[in-house]
Amino acid sequence: MAGEPGPRVFSADGRADSLSADTLREIFFMRLTSWPDGTPIRVFVLPDKHPLHVRFSKEILGVYPFQLRAAWDRLVFSGTGLIPHVVETIGEMRERVRVTPGGIGYVEK
Amino acid sequence: MLRNRGRLRMGLIRRIVDTRTVACPLAAALLSLSGGAEALDSSTIDWQLHGFASQGFTYTTSNQVFGASRGGSLDFTEIGVNGSVRLLPNLLFSAQGLFRNAGGSDREDFRLDFAQVDYNGTFLDSALTLGLRAGRVKIPFGLYNDTRDVVWTRPSVILPQSVYYDTLGLRQAMISADGGLLYSRYNWGDHRFNLEFMVAEPQDDTGDATGFLTGRLDASGRMEGRPLFLGRAVYEWMGGRARAMFSVVDLDRDFNSGAPGLESGKIQALYPLFSLQYNAERWSLTAEYGWVNTRRSGFGDVPVETTSEGFYVQGEYRLSEDWSAVLRYDVFHADRDDRSGRSLARRNNQPRHRFYARDLAVGLRWEFVSNWMVAAEYHNVDGTAWLSPHDNSDLLKGGGDPHWDLFSLMVSFRF
Repeated sequence: MAGEPGPRVFSADGRADSLSADTLREIFFMRLTSWPDGTPIRVFVLPDKHPLHVRFSKEILGVYPFQLRAAWDRLVFSGTGLIPHVVETIGEMRERVRVTPGGIGYVEK
Repeated sequence: MLRNRGRLRMGLIRRIVDTRTVACPLAAALLSLSGGAEALDSSTIDWQLHGFASQGFTYTTSNQVFGASRGGSLDFTEIGVNGSVRLLPNLLFSAQGLFRNAGGSDREDFRLDFAQVDYNGTFLDSALTLGLRAGRVKIPFGLYNDTRDVVWTRPSVILPQSVYYDTLGLRQAMISADGGLLYSRYNWGDHRFNLEFMVAEPQDDTGDATGFLTGRLDASGRMEGRPLFLGRAVYEWMGGRARAMFSVVDLDRDFNSGAPGLESGKIQALYPLFSLQYNAERWSLTAEYGWVNTRRSGFGDVPVETTSEGFYVQGEYRLSEDWSAVLRYDVFHADRDDRSGRSLARRNNQPRHRFYARDLAVGLRWEFVSNWMVAAEYHNVDGTAWLSPHDNSDLLKGGGDPHWDLFSLMVSFRF
């Protein structure tokens, strides 16, 4: 792991930069659905097995990817929430978050 | 902002083409069917469409589970499609249609699984959420009930039957109900507390729930009375790394007989369930213990009260990103004061094995392509308490084999 750039939260206007780990957990578990100004939060993630997703889950959120997936499955199949949009590359993540109002994701440091 | 529109469109098209499920063009088309976030202004409505399709194969050495499994049965199919629309950040509409076939124990085919509206508000700097869900709502009970028909959310093809009845008629009344649910969530650092309270009309006129509740198979009549009450309290640490839960269902229903010679009566049931789970990176440990206290009065008989119990302990091990294994011991007693079934057998003039079931199960699942899985498991079972009388007519005549094995295989796709 050493030497590889680690993950950092990424939002277009930097509004996610100061969020605590538990607030980020609520956002990525799709339980917190709007920003303080009322804009919907729109969450982007990389595929479950992507190394950056794995590191983000563990190092920033303090959870394992399977926990996120299990929680998203429960939301979807009980109709109690939406789940994140999956993007395939870090480049796409950067672009989609940048142009989506209320967008949040993660990139390399 | 507008100048990005063209590039985004291309990105979206590329995403559809890149989808790894090109083996299934329909799936690829469906996968791309979630929208909203592609749009460029914040007033857009976010919506998503998801679903699953699972086909099971069941083989038993004796007795029958999900159809005529002694010769191998394909009567285990679960297909669902759901849509969710978020009109406001805190206002969500969702509905799911479900097709299920499980041999004699489920002959309903298509049904509306849920159709609900969910509204919530946040307080105390977003630490507290209070919400209301209304419509046909999934019943939040224990660890697995509210999504139990989706193999992706189950630890095994066949859930621990001591807690989650699948072959017994009560199942139909446990899946979803028509009413309302109040919920609250409170976050405090790494800790999360969740409270739910539900008042709803159970679907106990569907499937064989009436027969199960009255104890009279194929009882014809109507279930009425007050709605069911349900409460659930959940504590979670670190996004579910550790989880403790208490759920309870309180049922009080009147059976109005629709057949001459069949008496009407009253059924009261209380079903508490305690749940514990710990999730490490490689392994998970789970246990649930509950009992059902049932009191039947009327029916032209003296009131009868029994308390059954169910308990299981389960370990899961994630061998890699694609492979996982499960090992479970699951026990059911029709009367917790008569675990051997001896006095029940005498009173009901039936063999002892009708009143308990001890199931040792081992399973393996493999996600062989993204969003496709195959799961296989073997159960060694002692006792016949949770078998469906509809698939096992010999049970009613004092037959049935107390020692039997079950093999189950399921292939599933989700989008």
